[in-house]
Amino acid sequence: MSNERTRPAPAALLAIAGSLLGLAFGAVSTTDFAAHLDRKVHGVTCSFVPGLLSSEGGANACATALYSPYSSLFRRAIWGGVPIAVFALGAFAFFLGMGVWLLRQEETSIPRSVRLSYGALGLTPALVSILMFTISMTKLGAVCKVCSGIYVASFLVAASAALVLKNALEEAPSGPPVLMAGATLAALLGGMTFLPAGVYAASVPDFGTYVGGCGKLEKGEEKHGALLHLPTATPKKKALMFVDPLCPTCKAFHEQLSSEGIFDRLDPTVSLFPLDGSCNWMIDAERPVHPGACVVARAVICGEGSQESRAILEWAYEHQPELTAAGKESPAKVKEIIASRFAKVSSCIDDAKTERRLHQMLQFAVENHIRVSTPQFYLDGQRLCDEDSDLGLSYALRRLAPEVLP
Amino acid sequence: MKNPMMIGLGSGAAALLLMTGIVVSRVKAAETRLKEPDKAQEAVAVADHAEEAYCTPAFKTVLQRVLNACGLVGQESRRGCQPGDVKTFASIDDDDFNALFTPLVKRGGIVMFDEGKEDIDDGARRLVEQKWGDRKGARYFFIVARASKTGSVDKNRSLSHRRANSVQYFLKEKTNDPDLDSQVGMLWLGSEFAQLGKDYCETWENSRPGQKCDTETVNRSAFVSWVDCRL
Repeated sequence: MSNERTRPAPAALLAIAGSLLGLAFGAVSTTDFAAHLDRKVHGVTCSFVPGLLSSEGGANACATALYSPYSSLFRRAIWGGVPIAVFALGAFAFFLGMGVWLLRQEETSIPRSVRLSYGALGLTPALVSILMFTISMTKLGAVCKVCSGIYVASFLVAASAALVLKNALEEAPSGPPVLMAGATLAALLGGMTFLPAGVYAASVPDFGTYVGGCGKLEKGEEKHGALLHLPTATPKKKALMFVDPLCPTCKAFHEQLSSEGIFDRLDPTVSLFPLDGSCNWMIDAERPVHPGACVVARAVICGEGSQESRAILEWAYEHQPELTAAGKESPAKVKEIIASRFAKVSSCIDDAKTERRLHQMLQFAVENHIRVSTPQFYLDGQRLCDEDSDLGLSYALRRLAPEVLP
Repeated sequence: MKNPMMIGLGSGAAALLLMTGIVVSRVKAAETRLKEPDKAQEAVAVADHAEEAYCTPAFKTVLQRVLNACGLVGQESRRGCQPGDVKTFASIDDDDFNALFTPLVKRGGIVMFDEGKEDIDDGARRLVEQKWGDRKGARYFFIVARASKTGSVDKNRSLSHRRANSVQYFLKEKTNDPDLDSQVGMLWLGSEFAQLGKDYCETWENSRPGQKCDTETVNRSAFVSWVDCRL
């Protein structure tokens, strides 16, 4: 195997280019993910130029992907889980090595069984990319640029593999058995893929002491019975949530609980906490965080009579952009949108009793000295730290309430 | 190293080591930051009662003294304050005392009583219930009872005390709220301190709209209001 190549082969160049691109985007994604291990809020890079542009704290498709349950594996055992991107690092390092080999040696002088194995294994990153792209489109509704970079890299490697595979298939069988070469390369690929992931998992600090260390509810009961109980399929654990129907983080949290099958295993009580000064005296009326949230909150309360509170809350989460835009216009506009979907509650939204009940919920928040932020989540009176409400959710719930994990 | 396979392996291994090194360094950097206190988290506001613009230092000083002296703060068994107490602890003259409550004109109401009586009628019940229900973000509810100049000072002192109690008993009965005592501050001023002027008939909502209202009748009353101040 010393027939050195004089002219670079397209397959080699594709593999090297794809691998380098994959390593660059994979490193950016892993770095962004690992930054969150300090339990603080960070910007998430979202650019086709790896690492050059960063969105500080703002929402973008890359942040959506990162905070989604699909960005990592083994989340129950490791805080945040092991990012998928870290597996890509090892895999692209393997394909870089294969690319260099192809660059340095005449393709035909490499045993056919090795080329066939490379051809087959080289398609795997593209298959994983297709899977992740499908998840992005169907579950997240967005494709992040960093992820796209990895997808492109995977397809470059797949193109290289396809070229090599095509040439090898055209040749007559020769050299060592395909199975042996395939097993050897697959083992090498597997080992290299899992090495950075294993090192990552072993390096992650122990978060056990942080979970559940964010205080308890001071007064568990609202004496006027103002809080809303939401129906779920198989309630197993009492939970209390302070939420704002127009708060994007509340929406993301609710979606995460729902998509992971957790919400339907909770016995949830909701205390509405709209970050809108038109009803919440803790918010500057001139600068509401979520204008229109008071009207939506009252609609959620009104839904109790027709057992539609949960439906209205989830509908509000789904239509947040529309409702927020209407809220900036006027409360009447928000009411109009709600009434067009939930006619039954429209007459109750402006009722003094509804307003009083919302104020009682806000007073309940005051009695409990909660932070003026949403969402806030309590399990049997134990507060789930904000830092554990996204990446660390499964890890924290495994320790605080394992029965709610499916 | 001339063997192309070995060069390939070496390149892959080098890339792997580099990437693993980056992973470890990023994780360790996060661990270092993890151990540092999060100043941003510490600065987050905590849910609290309302604090309206009328909560001036002077107003809050008087209210604080009322709360301290009248049994709302701490575990004192006595409830409410007498005219003498108010004069002493408020260190304020009649007009200034009344002026403090002027900003509550849209928030409060005046419960009117018959001469020499402390019974609350339907209009009074409606007004108290309405004002109590409109709590919003307030922490304390004040009942400031008075008596007109008719009759002796001692009799009026006692009468205003009973009027304040009437309102409080009604609230207890109506709301069944176990925390009521820690929310309601009572003052009874008799006829000797901070009498209301006739202008209160026009500017303040009262429980007998359309009926005779003058300096005599407006002081046969209990002023009720939530106060949106953090004390």
